[in-house]
Amino acid sequence: MSDYKIIFSGPVGAGKTTAIQSISDILPVTTDEQASDMTRNLKNGTTVAMDYGLIKLPGTERIHLYGTPGQERFDFMWEILSNGGIGLVLLINNQRPDPFGDLHFFLNAFQAFIKQGKVVIGVTRMDQAEMPRIEDYHLQLENSGVKIPVFDIDARIRKDVSILLEALLYSLDPGIEE
Amino acid sequence: MSDQQASPIRVAAIGMDQRQRNALVMLFNSHCHKRYILVEEESSEICIIDLDLYGGERLWQEFRQRHPDRPLILASLKPRQVENGHTLFVKKPIPIIQLMNAIGQLSQTLNNRTAEQQIDPVASPETTPSLPQKPRHPAAPVTRKVASLMTEAQETVFIGTSPDIDPDNQQQLAKIYYDPQHYLQGHVQQALNQATRYNKNVTIEGPWPAIDLIIANQQIMVDAGEKHLRPFCTVPDATREVELRFHEQHKPTTGRKEYSVYAFIWQLALWASRGRLPSGTNLNQPIYLRRWPNFSRLVVTPHALAIAALWSRNPRSLIDTANSLGISQRYVFAFYSAAHALQLAGETRRAVDTLLEPPVIEQAKHRGLFSKLLNRLRG
Ligand SMILES: Nc1nc2c(ncn2[C@@H]2O[C@H](COP(=O)(O)OP(=O)(O)OP(=O)(O)O)[C@@H](O)[C@H]2O)c(=O)[nH]1
Ligand SMILES: [Mg+2]
Repeated sequence: MSDYKIIFSGPVGAGKTTAIQSISDILPVTTDEQASDMTRNLKNGTTVAMDYGLIKLPGTERIHLYGTPGQERFDFMWEILSNGGIGLVLLINNQRPDPFGDLHFFLNAFQAFIKQGKVVIGVTRMDQAEMPRIEDYHLQLENSGVKIPVFDIDARIRKDVSILLEALLYSLDPGIEE
Repeated sequence: MSDQQASPIRVAAIGMDQRQRNALVMLFNSHCHKRYILVEEESSEICIIDLDLYGGERLWQEFRQRHPDRPLILASLKPRQVENGHTLFVKKPIPIIQLMNAIGQLSQTLNNRTAEQQIDPVASPETTPSLPQKPRHPAAPVTRKVASLMTEAQETVFIGTSPDIDPDNQQQLAKIYYDPQHYLQGHVQQALNQATRYNKNVTIEGPWPAIDLIIANQQIMVDAGEKHLRPFCTVPDATREVELRFHEQHKPTTGRKEYSVYAFIWQLALWASRGRLPSGTNLNQPIYLRRWPNFSRLVVTPHALAIAALWSRNPRSLIDTANSLGISQRYVFAFYSAAHALQLAGETRRAVDTLLEPPVIEQAKHRGLFSKLLNRLRG
């Protein structure tokens, strides 16, 4: 059995729970028992209270989807929890008062992912708040040293979440299609 | 405790909840070769306090009363001047490396102390040592082709069916170019430029269904669906009588088809190009990608994500892109035409970019896994 994980992070109401829900094979859980894969090597299967979803692939491989709890943005354990993850899906809620502040906060919190180009950004709720625009986000990212995909997405729409993940996979390896 | 291999350093996380403690255990197990172990305060040698926890300041003061010189790491979002010989500060969110450095530094302090005095033996740690990490087998290679995003019929419309050409064959070369200025694509691009410059709405008038550009919303409204519009987009010089009419007002939106102006131009460029390139494009000059297109709101042609990912790493010529990815040239040409129409891609002008050959695409360790996941997402 091979286990891999993808992390979903971002501020309150950005759609992390919803995004995981829209692509997970199981009903996502926010509680403990089922998240035990990540913590299997811990004593008594104690767990981390995060959103959790799962994608089962043909064969034995499984992709675990973890969402950081948004209201605990000051938690300092994220990088630790996301250690070893394939990549990071950062969702930014365009309707919050300071989306760029949120953006930089999370970029900083996940520096390791950013530097390795293991990140994609989905800006949500643009249907309710048009500004700032996607190009404004790109301007904010100009100094990050990597070209990060930034898409306008609605976390409730599977296709949107899917294309974001696809971009993540191609960023990791443009040669996937053989 | 003088022998780090034999007995790990005991670290306590004071006031932290189970989730935070689990995170630390994971870190110690996976990163630190079991040099550290999470224990309760009584048996600890180094402690960590999160000052932003409820009552964090009090936890800290009480801790210092109990243990005036036990090595301590304080974490907070706000930078603090609290450091002394046995207290270190780290700013949250804490990069792993900084936390490890801090623990390492305080371990050194401990080592120096033990040289002078013997620390009391302590109760056995509460946390079990970690199990060995699961071995990660590289995924088996996948032979199945990744599912395409488009049906064959759609592909013919957006990409065409042109075969690959030999760039040294002048006759073949002549067939791969089109001039956007002669298509509706060019008129809409021009309309956007002018509307932006004068900050006015504009109507693009011609034999096609009325096309309005609302500049403040970066929006296009058309009186007809794609079936009626497309014929005007695929033939050059559908009319010579094109007029741009500027105005402040615009017709109400009811019954009209709306697009973002960028998605509209993107689509027009694909229709016009059908796997060809804007005239004059150099096949051997490296192409840069200014930024990723907003793919979630655009027509995604086959291999577009791969090409974008490739160019976002290094500029690379059109021919080399097709060869490196092992795909037909028309996919690269179509994507370039669309991205170029939005000024997201272009030929590099810097000499340095042509000096070195772009690197071969390195295969990721998990390529097989990624393919499976892709198929799953598209399936
Ligand atoms: N209108 C709109 N609603 C959205 C969009 N994305 C998500 N939502 C909705 O926003 C609400 C919050 O989404 P959640 O998935 O709970 O957000 P979260 O990131 O998990 O939030 P926290 O757990 O509080 O951090 C849900 O009702 C979603 O359906 C979007 O793009 N547009
Ligand atoms: Mg949530």
